[in-house]
Amino acid sequence: MSVTSSTGVSGAREDTFSLTDPIYRQIRDLIYRVSGIYQPEEKLYLLLNACTRRMQQVKVDNSRTYWNLLMASPNRDPEMRALLNEITIGETCFFRSQPQLDALRNIILPELLKEKSRQIVKRVRIWSAGCSTGEEPHTLAMNLLEESEGRLKGWTVDIQATDLNDRSLEAAKAGIYGHYALRLTPEFYKHKYFSRFDDKHLQVRPEVRNLITFNRLNLRDDARMLFMKGIDVIFCCNVLIYFDGISKTKVVNHFFNDLNSGGYLFLGTSESLMKLNEQFHLMHFPGAISYWKPSHSSTKP
Amino acid sequence: MSASLESSLRERVDRIESTPAIPAVFLPLLNLLQSQSSASLDEVARLVAYDHAIAAQCLRVASSPLFGLAKAPESIRAAVVMLGLRRVETILLTCCLGNAFSTRDWPIDAKTFWTHSLGCAMASRRFSAKLACCDSDKAYLAGLLHDIGFMVNCIVFPDETSVAVNLAHERQIPLHQAEVATMGFTHSASGKALAEKWHIADDIVQVIACHHLIEDGRSSSPLVALVHLIDLLCRMRNLGYGYYESHGVDLQGDPAWATLVAENKNFDELDIERFTFEMDDSLAEIHQLVNIIFA
Repeated sequence: MSVTSSTGVSGAREDTFSLTDPIYRQIRDLIYRVSGIYQPEEKLYLLLNACTRRMQQVKVDNSRTYWNLLMASPNRDPEMRALLNEITIGETCFFRSQPQLDALRNIILPELLKEKSRQIVKRVRIWSAGCSTGEEPHTLAMNLLEESEGRLKGWTVDIQATDLNDRSLEAAKAGIYGHYALRLTPEFYKHKYFSRFDDKHLQVRPEVRNLITFNRLNLRDDARMLFMKGIDVIFCCNVLIYFDGISKTKVVNHFFNDLNSGGYLFLGTSESLMKLNEQFHLMHFPGAISYWKPSHSSTKP
Repeated sequence: MSASLESSLRERVDRIESTPAIPAVFLPLLNLLQSQSSASLDEVARLVAYDHAIAAQCLRVASSPLFGLAKAPESIRAAVVMLGLRRVETILLTCCLGNAFSTRDWPIDAKTFWTHSLGCAMASRRFSAKLACCDSDKAYLAGLLHDIGFMVNCIVFPDETSVAVNLAHERQIPLHQAEVATMGFTHSASGKALAEKWHIADDIVQVIACHHLIEDGRSSSPLVALVHLIDLLCRMRNLGYGYYESHGVDLQGDPAWATLVAENKNFDELDIERFTFEMDDSLAEIHQLVNIIFA
């Protein structure tokens, strides 16, 4: 595939922005090494667009110079962060990863409920860490509501949704969304769990919102992270990229400690833990990967 | 498996050999590929000369982006010069296999089956090349042929296989478990019978016969371990049998992983997530190849 930039950069040749330029694969590898996020071939054009936008910002007119900026300049860290920001723009939407939701409902949930069936308090706790404007926790809530008359009958579901950004949290609590956020939402869910807000927006119904507790939380705040105990499943998608190596390790260790034994951590669909914590077991589910905290008693069947 | 069941299986498998659809070039090619001394270009060219359709298909595959050739080869000879003899032989064999059997009335979509086999072949080759744990062409062949018994079952036990496939779909369980539940034996047993009939090399027969037995904790060769892991991985990454398998897979906790770690000290360093993402990247190419070969 060859994509050329439609925006262009003053003085740049058209072929500077071609996917055939090996620099973009080098940048892809660098991003993976730094952040654990893999840009699949079919989405390389998004990386190219992100690089193009950054190159315009920093007034660089060829890919080689931009590569040097990411690799060797004193500004390489802030530039990498800015590039990662560009890459993850617009990533959030409802039903972002159906394979993750299927794994949660079809495989993990039955396993968790079996494991917890002897406990007196029948409660499942899920944490959407870095929930942004709320698409992820609302999606999780709708999927779990679908199980409320089945597997989850008699169980309490508690979804903790946290983010650092107050404005995002306000939007999440309001639960009002436009077409773009709902682009992957099946009609069934739109009809069942949303009401019309205005011509262009739908609002999540109260029964969905009632399952979720929104809170401001900085994942770097060690003291508060210690309080997030007893979690069964954590979703933390495309959030770790914003942390440096040491903070990332700390956050992942907190996640490990906050999870119950037998719990799972999901990252973004093309994101990996890069061995930041050797205690987690990588698990493959159909179309999705997750990290499992081993039970005290057993290894994975 | 009981002795009577085994003998009935062999009897039915015997009939496959008389199937007229197997290209004449298939078994000699298989022998060439398995021979220790490498075949000569002339031998391969002579064999392929018998079957122009296979030769043309081979050239279309060799020209696909997967092999990254700047210029499409115009003859088998040119393809060998550009890609090497072994690579061309494996392409030829893949093409032959796709043409070998009538896929009418199979209980699953034949293209889905071939996509799984070809996906396993390509991923096994890539994995072994990365780790230098097995000969990579051998790994390709083992991946391609590992489920050949399922093809046998589709041909000689169509009704029973159909019941097994339906059960696997309905309960979302691995196919071999559904086969045991409904037929009392798996595609591994029928594959072994055919592989022995065709005098396939012992190490590949082992893969065909034992790639599911590792789950029972049996020790295995690195090649069996490799194909077992790749089979699991493919089934988790949209390269399975076209239905949802409702279970998780812990590759690093699998006994096959321990077998490969024992053989290769660097194995634990392998970035399995990245390997998984790269495998996803090759999905489109695998589908494209299947469309060329098994259309």
